[in-house]
Amino acid sequence: MNTSETSQIVHEQIVTLLPRLRRYARNFTRNRHDADDVVQIAVERALTRLDQWRSDARLDSWLFKIVRNVWIDELRSRGRRNKIFLAAEAGDNIGSDSMAGEADLLSVQSAMARLPGDQREAVSLVLVEGLPYKEAAEVLDVPIGTLTSRLARGREALQAMLETEGDTR
Amino acid sequence: MTISNETLMAYADGELDAAAREAVESAMREDPQIEKCLSQHRALRERVQAAYSAELSEGIPQRLLTAAKGVASPRESKVVNLQDARAAIGRTAPRPLRPQWRTAATIAASVIVGVGLGFFMWGRTESPLMRTADGALVARGQLARVLSYQLAAEQSPSSAVQIGLSFLAKSGEYCRTFALSGAVSPSGLACRHGTEWQVQALTQAPDTGGHSEYRTAGSAMSAIFLKSIEGLIAGEPLDQAGEKAARQRGWLSTDHELQRIAP
Repeated sequence: MNTSETSQIVHEQIVTLLPRLRRYARNFTRNRHDADDVVQIAVERALTRLDQWRSDARLDSWLFKIVRNVWIDELRSRGRRNKIFLAAEAGDNIGSDSMAGEADLLSVQSAMARLPGDQREAVSLVLVEGLPYKEAAEVLDVPIGTLTSRLARGREALQAMLETEGDTR
Repeated sequence: MTISNETLMAYADGELDAAAREAVESAMREDPQIEKCLSQHRALRERVQAAYSAELSEGIPQRLLTAAKGVASPRESKVVNLQDARAAIGRTAPRPLRPQWRTAATIAASVIVGVGLGFFMWGRTESPLMRTADGALVARGQLARVLSYQLAAEQSPSSAVQIGLSFLAKSGEYCRTFALSGAVSPSGLACRHGTEWQVQALTQAPDTGGHSEYRTAGSAMSAIFLKSIEGLIAGEPLDQAGEKAARQRGWLSTDHELQRIAP
């Protein structure tokens, strides 16, 4: 297979991965438009670095990692600016006196939003995106033991939040 | 034998090898509690997966498809001061090709657009979130409610209106930045004027094929907002207690505050 055929296939695969990339990015940008910006930049970046992708590696993990790095770069460059449009981490506010009458059933999404970032990332990659532990650990650049302990804590916290909010199961 | 929670979790995730699976299964036969934990792990996994599955069937924006195909596409967003925008209606701003996210110069070049016009196109004639009154844009509906009552720290990430920063402006008015989610999605700055929230600025994404697409302010737009906010703000943004106190007073500044910001 020649280079242009390979690249054609990669382009097609990236197109099919777009929905997952967007979903993954939303988990940390907390804002769909930022997520789309991040995905666009990541895809553009990936295409200029196709030579760095080992074809034995999963394309989705490789792209997730780029998406994540784009966001990290963006956060760094924003510094305090992100305070303007991004709400405070909801996770910081658990236990604060939230408005009475807002005891709505906690959705999975809002429970996820309350997880500390590192746990949310682990849950998002393994439970939502279905990556094997090894791949997820690579995306996050952490040892597999760290990944599994974040995942375990994230799960426990989710379970607790979803149960206390009236889950009858 | 005891099975750790992490092992059970790995079992539920299909991460164990045959020998380890066997061990879990035999332990399970002896201890029904283990099976209960396992089914909990599985149920959670399914529930989380299901909660996020709908996102996969959303339509993909053209710009992402274009990017994936490897064709560079124009992408820029604009932040507009409404007065400038009204003055500029009829003029078209040049749209830079492939602007960099964080290049202030590029952003500055794209700032002026007819957002007033665009805004009314967006909401046809009127929007459920804003109306015009004496030439000013005034928040209404959910936007007005959120601006008046929602503390930034307590908002749900799923709310359609998100509050960013709240602050006392040098004019003596309280102002709050907000972002709207949804397909058409402006962000903006609103200041309390009497009993109303006047929308002072809105962000707008580029005109794509005749449809004005609004978007939340992230990235480049935050920089512009930051700049205009730094020009407006008296002191520091409000913290949660400050927001709460201001909300309690109906967003009226106190004499003490007015003295503090007096020149």
